[in-house]
Amino acid sequence: MVETFLRATLLGVQLGMTLALIAAGLTLIFGMLDVINFAHGALYMLGAYFGAVIAVNLGSFWLALVLAPLLVGLIGAAIEVLSLRPLYGRNPLYHILLTFGFAIMIQGAIVQIWGGQARRIAQPDLLTGTLSIGSLNYPIYRLFVLVVSTVLIAAVWLAIDRSNLGILMRASAHDTEMVDALGIDVSKVFTSVFVFGAVLAGLAGVLLGASRSVNPGMGMGIIIEAFVIVVIGGLGSFRGAVYAGLLIGLVTAYGALIAPTLTDLFLFGLMAVVLMIKPNGLFGTTEAA
Amino acid sequence: MSALDYLRQRNTPRTGNQILSRSGRLTLLVGIAILAALGPVVQSVQPFWLNLLVRMLTFALLALSLDFVFGYAGLLSFGHAAMYGAGGYAAALLVTEVTASALVVLPLAVVTGVIVATIIGWLSVRARGIYFAMLTLAFAQMLYVVAFTDLPATIAGMETVTGGDNGLYGIQLYELFGIDFRERLNYYYLTLGIVALSLAGIVRLANSPFGRVLQGIRENEERTEFIGYDVQRYKVIAFAISGGFASLAGALYVPFQSVANPQLLHWTVSGELVVMVLLGGMGTFWGPMLGAGLVVFLEDRLGSVASWEVILGSLFVAVVVFAPRGLAGSIITLRNDPRAAIGNAKRALENYVRKVRG
Repeated sequence: MVETFLRATLLGVQLGMTLALIAAGLTLIFGMLDVINFAHGALYMLGAYFGAVIAVNLGSFWLALVLAPLLVGLIGAAIEVLSLRPLYGRNPLYHILLTFGFAIMIQGAIVQIWGGQARRIAQPDLLTGTLSIGSLNYPIYRLFVLVVSTVLIAAVWLAIDRSNLGILMRASAHDTEMVDALGIDVSKVFTSVFVFGAVLAGLAGVLLGASRSVNPGMGMGIIIEAFVIVVIGGLGSFRGAVYAGLLIGLVTAYGALIAPTLTDLFLFGLMAVVLMIKPNGLFGTTEAA
Repeated sequence: MSALDYLRQRNTPRTGNQILSRSGRLTLLVGIAILAALGPVVQSVQPFWLNLLVRMLTFALLALSLDFVFGYAGLLSFGHAAMYGAGGYAAALLVTEVTASALVVLPLAVVTGVIVATIIGWLSVRARGIYFAMLTLAFAQMLYVVAFTDLPATIAGMETVTGGDNGLYGIQLYELFGIDFRERLNYYYLTLGIVALSLAGIVRLANSPFGRVLQGIRENEERTEFIGYDVQRYKVIAFAISGGFASLAGALYVPFQSVANPQLLHWTVSGELVVMVLLGGMGTFWGPMLGAGLVVFLEDRLGSVASWEVILGSLFVAVVVFAPRGLAGSIITLRNDPRAAIGNAKRALENYVRKVRG
């Protein structure tokens, strides 16, 4: 009983941190660019596919973990410069349509290029097997995912909070005109934010692609979960995304113990309750869109 | 000044409000007449296309219902699949268990949709913008899970209610004044008639004082509230009306396809619907209907082309970037000044290049 509970908790925290990693990119892009990025799930999926291809052809999980997110970042840069940049300032609804279009496009392209069947990224030998603590068995790879996600989230948090680039990003979002007047190319800052978000999505794709399957449905599946997290946490709030990610991870893990088929009902129910009590999410400050 | 405000200043203003003018109505009447005449032609040339036309019409009705709350009251519903599916399931259950009479089933399906929409609307209207969208999405997804796991059967201790994952099969077609709807052309006319009536009803509503209040809410919620309107109540009523029309679309679709499955309620339906409305041009009614028809048509036609999703996605992207007011906006501009079309296109392209360069 206690063991099941502990297992579920560990699983929930691990799931929560990876979800938070995905949601972090989404919330950063919204918070700074005011863009609701529906293509985030597709970028995550691209990360997983690039990862799978690199891991098979170059034979190294570690290379895949580094190269795939960079490739996704490149695609993110192209999307931002060629389509989002001309649209800033328009009603945010157009970003939904635009990025939804990209989501469909990327999904179609993936099926076209790699076919419809599922594949898997091989876990590195170093990380296979299970770890036993007392009577609790836990796959090492999952622990690795937990550690990497946590470290990454902490790093991103610190970067936004402390680094010069982070301060510049926040300043650009807060008062674009002023930053522009100071002689800084705001559009480059915006591009970096979007690319940064895309890289995080790609990273999550590779990480999860080695423990779940890589398939053409994964993008659309994850995007709604990520939206739930971002909304519960409060759109644009990084802290909110992390807390809400953990919350959703735990609810999913515990929900799976009680009624596995109804976990989605718990998730959406939780989101509905949160929004009815706090219409701007847990840590949301301003009203969005 | 926030980033958004700053950038808004530099960019084009949003679309204005167009309510159907007299010439617009005439065009629509002609359009409906053409569609009516098209039926027998399609029937004799390629009968399968009648199915496609019916599907296009039901989605046009669904897009119309969304445009009423979205384009007029400014409520972005991301959960319209809830009412669509509720109407569909209601029709399926009524037809199999009670009666196949369209005069009974269709009104009851609409009532079901209105009830579902009232509950969802009442629980969601306090939140605004994207949060409202996400709440409606949440409720729709909850209904999806309920239908998918057949929760009602579990609770009531029955064998099956929604049919779970598989859905409900073999839904009979409607009966109405002894007309044989297995004759596809008849069903096409039934659908066309209902869609045309719905459009007339919605245009009337939008032109009524009630519709003006909704526009007021869209343009400036605080001001409308300050004048003394109960904004929340108006929103809930608008949402309920919209839900009624959405469920009508579901109730027309399900017996025609003879299947009601959870897929009707899935969020991707709502998502595609929003795309159809924006693609067509929100707030014009005819634009979103055109958008919906076009998307359904293209999905069907391009389905045989392997990369149809890529084509469809590119089309969406191109429309958003180059025709922000949707197809309707482009058509209006083109009609107002056909000779300026080339110049406009050139300017749009130059504008685009300038903005990309930053």
